[in-house]
Amino acid sequence: MLKIQNISKNFGDLKALNDVSFDVSDGQILGLIGQNGAGKSTTFHSILNFLNYQGTITWNDQPITETVFDEIGYLPEERSLMPKLTIEQQIIYLARLKNKSAKEIRPQIETWLKRFAVKGTKKDKIKDLSKGNQQKVQLICTLIHNPKLLILDEPFSGLDPVNADLLKQAILTAKKQGAAIIFSSHDMENVEELCDKLVMLRNGKVVLNGAVQEIRDSFGKTMIYVTTDQSIDKLATLPHVVAAKPLESRRYVLYLDKEEAGRDVFDELTHGQYIEEFSQQPPTLNEIFRRKAGEKDE
Amino acid sequence: MLVFGPFLMFGITIGAGYLGASNTENNSEIAVISQNSQLRNSYLKANKTDVNTAITDQTKAKKQLNKGKIAGYLTLKSDNQKISAQYVGTSSLDSSMKSKINIFLNTQQQQLNLANAQLSATQIQALQQQPKLTENVQKKTGTAHTAKIISFWITVVMVYIILITYTTITAQEIASEKGTKIMEIIFSSTTALKYFLGKIFGVLLVILAQILVYLIGGFGGYLFIENSSLTKSFVSQYQSLITSVLRNLLSVNLIYLLLGVVIYTVLAAFCGALVAKVEDASKAAQPAIMLNLVAFFITFPFQSNVDSIVVKTLSYVPFFSSYFMPLRLINNNASGVEVAISLIVLLVSIILLTVYIGKIYQGLMLQTDDSSFWKRFKRGISYNK
Repeated sequence: MLKIQNISKNFGDLKALNDVSFDVSDGQILGLIGQNGAGKSTTFHSILNFLNYQGTITWNDQPITETVFDEIGYLPEERSLMPKLTIEQQIIYLARLKNKSAKEIRPQIETWLKRFAVKGTKKDKIKDLSKGNQQKVQLICTLIHNPKLLILDEPFSGLDPVNADLLKQAILTAKKQGAAIIFSSHDMENVEELCDKLVMLRNGKVVLNGAVQEIRDSFGKTMIYVTTDQSIDKLATLPHVVAAKPLESRRYVLYLDKEEAGRDVFDELTHGQYIEEFSQQPPTLNEIFRRKAGEKDE
Repeated sequence: MLVFGPFLMFGITIGAGYLGASNTENNSEIAVISQNSQLRNSYLKANKTDVNTAITDQTKAKKQLNKGKIAGYLTLKSDNQKISAQYVGTSSLDSSMKSKINIFLNTQQQQLNLANAQLSATQIQALQQQPKLTENVQKKTGTAHTAKIISFWITVVMVYIILITYTTITAQEIASEKGTKIMEIIFSSTTALKYFLGKIFGVLLVILAQILVYLIGGFGGYLFIENSSLTKSFVSQYQSLITSVLRNLLSVNLIYLLLGVVIYTVLAAFCGALVAKVEDASKAAQPAIMLNLVAFFITFPFQSNVDSIVVKTLSYVPFFSSYFMPLRLINNNASGVEVAISLIVLLVSIILLTVYIGKIYQGLMLQTDDSSFWKRFKRGISYNK
């Protein structure tokens, strides 16, 4: 288990992290979200011991030092490999830093290249690969030593939907194998789809922390999705509706001032009218993100 | 290329010299013509190497001269009283050739004079008495000064070039890694100190390999010039000088070179880690290069004044001792104890500097602020665990 307790980090006058606490258990995926500059990368750098910080970070009750480096797989935000090396040399070099022998790693390379559909052979140089394929090789380097703690900084950034699916599969496989996984993302759909837990940072502080559904439910079912022939102007004037937005043809989302008003809105809408869809739900992660990001610090 | 560059230059120089020598070989020859075959033969016997013996008459000699095949031709004449010679050529005779011809003509004229004078054997013997000039050059002392000057220049230039090469390569390589995320991946796998030590150790192995290749190549080159017909006479003429120079080079000075590379490499790595961004990689080595340049130029005024307090002091100061202690050693101005103290100071400095920079290396490499030098340095230190 990765346990982060009350960590703070200042860069001069800038408070990059302010009393951040959360934990990730084995076989669990935690999504770390927040606006740019919220402190996500600084959190990762603290976990990886790149920084001096106040507070405690432990992995299986041990401080994160060189002794546990071999159990960690880290994918940085910007991709970077050694352009002069071949794919094979690059993978083996980084695996050897994780105390895996070339003998052990070399036979696995072909399988991993196929699994991630990397175009090219293991003898191709990194500099000759496309950006997407370089990204896949970097993912292989992160995963090939079967890490117990997987830290992925913006892993989906720059990936097309097909490759994003490949990555999702790899993350879920690592989860099945018992790895504790923490990743940052701006794509709330991926977070919702993959994560068991969610932590949101704003200006270095934790503003959300918990299971994804619990967090959504805590905001109340204040959104109604309707598919109807009624006009948006009429929908916007319904009691307790604070806003209405069109989604697609005849489909709208209504924002309520309180969850309990749902029944009243339903009565108003269905009064002598046919309603194709009426669904009262908590806000989406995107909506929660927007709301939380827009809030002012206390 | 780094290691084999000097050999390539050596090969090109030898090759060019050889080609040049082959092309100009015939042009430096002269033809010797004479109606008196005995006189001609006597000349050829005395000076065969500079003469194209195939040319025996003036017509042929003129033709060959016009074609540029010979430098000129010498026409020897004699009658009962006098020996004379006329030289025709595209340029005047060089002093060596002129001297050879004069010696030959004087000898021949003297023999003719003696024969004409009809002297007795005692009179001939009396006239043949020559003045005697005895030169007594003490070889060792005579070449020692030259050997010191040559050794000094070879040592400082060699140290300077090798240090510049390694500081530039190291600083640029580290600067090009700076700010790239590969450093984050590496530091999530091993400690920055280990990685830094690995880099320095790698450079040390490269310079050791380079010195080894130079020693083997130098030995091969020496054997070549010792046995080559082009340079054989030069080597035997200056044997004691060459031995002195080699003795100065193949000594503890090599250890100073090696340790000099290490301490400058550590400094260069530090400079590389302090650049603001990858694009500044080419400028990264400048502080290390400047220090090297200062040390190099300070040696000049002191090459014949090694007793100076400046030389003695700087021979113990890291970054300078790689220049100044060899300077003192070449001039037999340092005792074994002084050398040992200087080496210990240099070694301890290398260890302390390496450990310190290794500890702050992670912070320096991971911070990418585009601010002033001191701000980057301070931030790098504060960033570090």
